[in-house]
Amino acid sequence: MNKDVRIINDRLAAQFKPVSQSRYWLQIVDNHYGGYYNIFFNHQRKWQRLRSIPLHTIKTYDLAYLETVVHDLQQLTQLTIVYDGFTDQYWPQSQRLIQRKKHGYE
Amino acid sequence: MQTLDYRKEPHGVYFLIDNKSFYASCECVERGYNPLKVPLVVMSETDNTNGGLVLATSPEAKQLYHLQANVSRQRDLPNDPQLVVVPPRMNLYIKRNLQINAIFNRFVADCDLLPYSIDESILDLTHSWQLFGDSPRAVAKRIQHTIRHELGLYTTVGIGDNPVQAKLALDLYAKHTPDLIGEIHYHTVPQTIWSVQDLTSVWSIGHRTAKRLNRLGIHNMNDLAHANPYLLKQQLGLMGMQLFAVAWGIDRSQVSEQTGPKEASLGNSQVLPHDYTQPKEIETVIKEIGEQVASRLRHHHQLTSAVSLSVGFAYAASTTDGRAGWTQAVRIDPTDSDPVLTQTLLQLFRQYWDGQAIRNLAVYTSKLSPKQGQQLNLFTGVEQQVKADRIALVVDRVRARFGFTKLVYTSSLLPGGTAIRRASLVGGHNGGNAYE
Repeated sequence: MNKDVRIINDRLAAQFKPVSQSRYWLQIVDNHYGGYYNIFFNHQRKWQRLRSIPLHTIKTYDLAYLETVVHDLQQLTQLTIVYDGFTDQYWPQSQRLIQRKKHGYE
Repeated sequence: MQTLDYRKEPHGVYFLIDNKSFYASCECVERGYNPLKVPLVVMSETDNTNGGLVLATSPEAKQLYHLQANVSRQRDLPNDPQLVVVPPRMNLYIKRNLQINAIFNRFVADCDLLPYSIDESILDLTHSWQLFGDSPRAVAKRIQHTIRHELGLYTTVGIGDNPVQAKLALDLYAKHTPDLIGEIHYHTVPQTIWSVQDLTSVWSIGHRTAKRLNRLGIHNMNDLAHANPYLLKQQLGLMGMQLFAVAWGIDRSQVSEQTGPKEASLGNSQVLPHDYTQPKEIETVIKEIGEQVASRLRHHHQLTSAVSLSVGFAYAASTTDGRAGWTQAVRIDPTDSDPVLTQTLLQLFRQYWDGQAIRNLAVYTSKLSPKQGQQLNLFTGVEQQVKADRIALVVDRVRARFGFTKLVYTSSLLPGGTAIRRASLVGGHNGGNAYE
């Protein structure tokens, strides 16, 4: 487990509190302005406001590295991962499309 | 219509540039969203915000829910699943502000750029605008485009012949036009400034000033521009003349000639997480603030000769007492020492506190002088004094290197202590070290 994965996992563990009728997911954003990736922990109770908490910023702006981070994260958590800012980008190793369509807010 | 001969007034090209919903926009960009599309609020949930204080709202949230930054509370937020609530990150906003000012620096010289607040800057483009476009408006568009392209943020630009016109153009017009640009010039003052009906929408006029103006029969900017300036000065003092000048769009200040405060002061204040009634708890916080201020004095190599303590009563206490609180000051020998400062503050507190519940505390030091050496006291041993000074410096160094919470006085662990929880706050909100 590399340092970025450990930080994300530790912060996620501190933030995650299971509540009924709530959904939880991770959001990974390609910030092309700054050249880094942001990871957020989002949670929302049914009919309530969405809360979005920043977990970490990955400074290594390299998709291959991000792919390994995501792979390691998926071993640690079952949370859905949502991608923003990745339209038309493919994972270098698996060659799968990262984000199918643009988010309505992009 | 009365007019004025503006020929002798300074004519320049001034921009006042503001970031649209700055904190909220930064958070939108970090999440890959367009700042104008998403309903998002930045909410501080530190324990003194009584559940949560909305620090910033995106334009969409402002329009949908009629929220006001720094006024709306968590209870005002609707339970709308569309709404995104995020915690503040003050360090991120400071970093973005520095990046934005670095972009401004490409358009103006250092001396012609004045950062006015965390999201506003004044630019004097008198000498440089012709290098970047055919007209000031074209240059404004270019600056807006550069910031949007490089940082993803939207900016609003007020353009004027002097700084006050630029500020009024920004507040009154730029924020409401589709291209986010507003202009006021000397020849458009009657149409743009005098047409303003709501006095409080004008920079430098708050509710209290508006009330005082109303009492003089002044209800809009046209009335203010045509009021008797001598009467205004008589009733409102120097501010009256300044308001009269604002109404005529006159401002003779130069951005490059920056004026500092006549006398510097240094201090800290805080809103307490709940009403404090126990003297022990209040004294713990006073001691902590005193130590924080002393530490900042040492960081800036300053000594203080005047200390003031302000106490704000809790809501219930202020209604019974009739006062909102009190402020007391005392002159002391020049010092930057923790114990001297805290003892003085505690003395002030014990002398003037009458048992009221307290919600705000503030400590300010003034009459500052540069520390050129240690002033020794005749009544204490020399070694003892030098040692005390060295201990304080070592504590500061340890905290600067490893963080404030790594070395705290045990009193901060007593009930009521707030220093440990506040150590990571910047400007009272989440993000960074406030002890520098």
